[in-house]
Amino acid sequence: MAVAIRTEGLTKDYGASRGLFDLDLDVSTGEVFGYLGPNGSGKTTTIRLLMDMVRPTRGRGEIFGVDCQAYPVEVKRMVGYLPGEMPQWGGLRGRDVVAYVGGLRGGLDPARVSGLTERLDLDLGRRYREYSSGNKRKLGLVLAFMHPSRLLVLDEPTNGLDPLIQQEFYRLVEEAAAEGVTVFLSSHVLAEVERACQRVGILRRGRLVQVARLDELHHLRYHRLEADFAGEVPADAVRAVAGVEEVSVEDHRLSCTVHGAFGPLLQVLGREQVLNLVTHEPTLEEVFLAYFRDPAEPAQAPVPTGGAR
Amino acid sequence: MTTVTPGADALAPPVRGPVRGSAGTMVRYGLRSHRWALAGVVFVGFVSPYSAAASYVAATGTAALRASFGRQTVALGPQLAYLVPLPIRPDTVAGYMWWKGLTWLTLIFAVWGLAAATGLIRNEEERGLMETWLAQPFGRLRLLLSRTAAFAVAALAAVVITGLGTAAGIAAGKGSVGVPALAGQGAALLGIALACFGIGLAAAQLAVTRRGALVLGGAVMLVLYILDALARVNPGLDGVAAISPFHLADITTAVVPGGHFDGGATAALFAIAAVLVGLSALAFQRRDLMAALVRRRPAETPVVRTPSANPLLRLPVLSSLWEQRIGMAGWVAGSILAAGLVVSIAHTTGKLLASVTGFQTFVHAAGTDSAATAVVSSVWLSISALIVAAFAIAQTSRWAGDDAGGKLEMEIAQPVPRWRVVAERGLTLVVAALVMTALGSLVTGAVAPSQGVHLDTGGLLTATALLVLLALTVAALGALVIARLPRIAVPVLAVIAVAGFYIPLLAPLFKWPGWALDLSLFHLYGTPLTTGVYWTGLWVMVAIVVIGFGGAMAAMRVREVGR
Repeated sequence: MAVAIRTEGLTKDYGASRGLFDLDLDVSTGEVFGYLGPNGSGKTTTIRLLMDMVRPTRGRGEIFGVDCQAYPVEVKRMVGYLPGEMPQWGGLRGRDVVAYVGGLRGGLDPARVSGLTERLDLDLGRRYREYSSGNKRKLGLVLAFMHPSRLLVLDEPTNGLDPLIQQEFYRLVEEAAAEGVTVFLSSHVLAEVERACQRVGILRRGRLVQVARLDELHHLRYHRLEADFAGEVPADAVRAVAGVEEVSVEDHRLSCTVHGAFGPLLQVLGREQVLNLVTHEPTLEEVFLAYFRDPAEPAQAPVPTGGAR
Repeated sequence: MTTVTPGADALAPPVRGPVRGSAGTMVRYGLRSHRWALAGVVFVGFVSPYSAAASYVAATGTAALRASFGRQTVALGPQLAYLVPLPIRPDTVAGYMWWKGLTWLTLIFAVWGLAAATGLIRNEEERGLMETWLAQPFGRLRLLLSRTAAFAVAALAAVVITGLGTAAGIAAGKGSVGVPALAGQGAALLGIALACFGIGLAAAQLAVTRRGALVLGGAVMLVLYILDALARVNPGLDGVAAISPFHLADITTAVVPGGHFDGGATAALFAIAAVLVGLSALAFQRRDLMAALVRRRPAETPVVRTPSANPLLRLPVLSSLWEQRIGMAGWVAGSILAAGLVVSIAHTTGKLLASVTGFQTFVHAAGTDSAATAVVSSVWLSISALIVAAFAIAQTSRWAGDDAGGKLEMEIAQPVPRWRVVAERGLTLVVAALVMTALGSLVTGAVAPSQGVHLDTGGLLTATALLVLLALTVAALGALVIARLPRIAVPVLAVIAVAGFYIPLLAPLFKWPGWALDLSLFHLYGTPLTTGVYWTGLWVMVAIVVIGFGGAMAAMRVREVGR
């Protein structure tokens, strides 16, 4: 399948370990690709690099084979874009903003705009500054979807949208995908990606840590294990087992996570008298959080409340 | 329902840290937000009286010259009575400086007060800052009062510096003024600033946007100003004019020999400020954030689902002009009014210039023997140059706002080359400046014959075209600064413009070398109406335009966009 987005070693180094580093990514034509990561992980930087808003420190990005930095105008002819933060259009009415942006693209189809505003329940007669944050987002979606494009780049598109409009948005994405449009959707909401995307890339601290189909993410899942021992817990031996992480011991109880096969761990456990053994599968949300957790971060201390003494 | 008063609930969990927000922090933040305006007012506050005194010294070498100068200034006074009070003892350095420097400063302090107050309330609400402040343990009353205190401190600092400039100017003119007189004059200046701050604060409670508050407060101030102006030419209106802060400020003439400090009028200024701040505080406590005190019920309007059919919005340059049509109308109206006013008193002003030896050089420098023509050529076109420079700075501010507000990001997300954004900005400015200056020149051409001034059409066209070039030059500098440091673009341009205004005034007094004059954009513009094109200036301006916009386009190609 043809590639819609390709990046090779794409890097934007803002210094102090901030930015995006060595991104190698392929998004296929017609695919709905979710780009997941916590705040500050580099999602918006990636999008801005692809949209030629910021310039890479090194590496390159292509959209449908066209270099994003060398031929930005050609790239943007193919792209519908929703920025993470909507511009401040001030006193302009929604209909003026649509006409203005339409003018920049050389014209627009009023029927298409009308259809979108109907579905998103947006009144274009009001001034932009009177819009709620959700209505501003809706206007952004209209601006992104109102032109026939081959790729939709949407930065956290459902921020501020109510659940009903979110459902309508997902339908718009499905229809676009059905027409062969590629969708690149950044989010930090797993449920949104699960609902709309076929494949996801997970970013952490500016690095792509995983690209997988949604069903493959389930294969990546680990197991949480708890075991009660009659005697001493063989903590050192357990820690030495490949795939075992987050080992903690409390009295005679061992807790850990197990990635991959259980065999090597069971061999270690089998040498001791195990009174009780429990494992459970994490939810997809937990898988997601595991990827987002920064290994450098210390364990969170409980937050004192106003009533704490 | 049970009402719980703060502190009455013994079972409530203890709160660690300060229970109330620090007013000191808010005052400091308020002072920080005034820093640029304060710097500008302080600069003008020092230089304006001092340069007025310096020009007085240059024009009046002997007692006879001083007496003649004074008589002519008195004769000119009524012509300008709609703008500033009548001159008092203009034969003395202190009297002339009061009339030429301090009365104009009253306007600057008034406008500053209005802008500061509307910015404090509405601008911070529009930016969402007010919501953040009020989410802290900080009452609305404390917030408003702490910000008022911050402005009062900033205004006091500006008044002190103005006093120093006044004292220095009077000393340079070998006059003398006592500290009590300076203090009295300063108190009137502080009073007008605070009263207009109060007007702005009250207007901000009644309008929803900062622009709306500025328009409302500005309109109120304009009415009060006109009332004061009418009272100057019709003493029968003195009683009514007593409600005008401008009138109350004008009464104090403490620095003028024989003048006096009117304690009652000055106290009334502070009382007006206190009442307006108090009423604003009440209104602020009653109203919703992001809403006016009195909310208008929105009319039921049909839902609009289609884009605007306005063809102007789809066309480059015209879309930008359409977007700022109301502001543009204001600039054009201001330009026309200023042209009509200044040119209509060219004859009387010219008589003053012709009668004073020191100013006769000024007439000859304008390249004409007709003093009235010199007024149109030098005075009016200098004012026009200032207006177009201010317009260019306002446009630069708009561009910086577009960049910071995300509009630029949205524009270049469309299939348009980046250089087009810069080119479109420049073209929009050219069209707008052309409309402004052409209409101003039309009025000039129409009014001038009534003053005995017969202008050459070719010269007027040249002068108009060069005004557009001047606007483009200022904008080119702005575009270049925005490309690298958008936040400081407006202050940088303001410094360039103010310095450019004062360099031609101060250079002869301090005997600066000739090239120093070419550092002034206004000197580069020259006096094209009477002396023809100043070619060096023209080429320098063209070079700045080419380098500025060329550099801005090149920088736009590589600059990073995004908030």
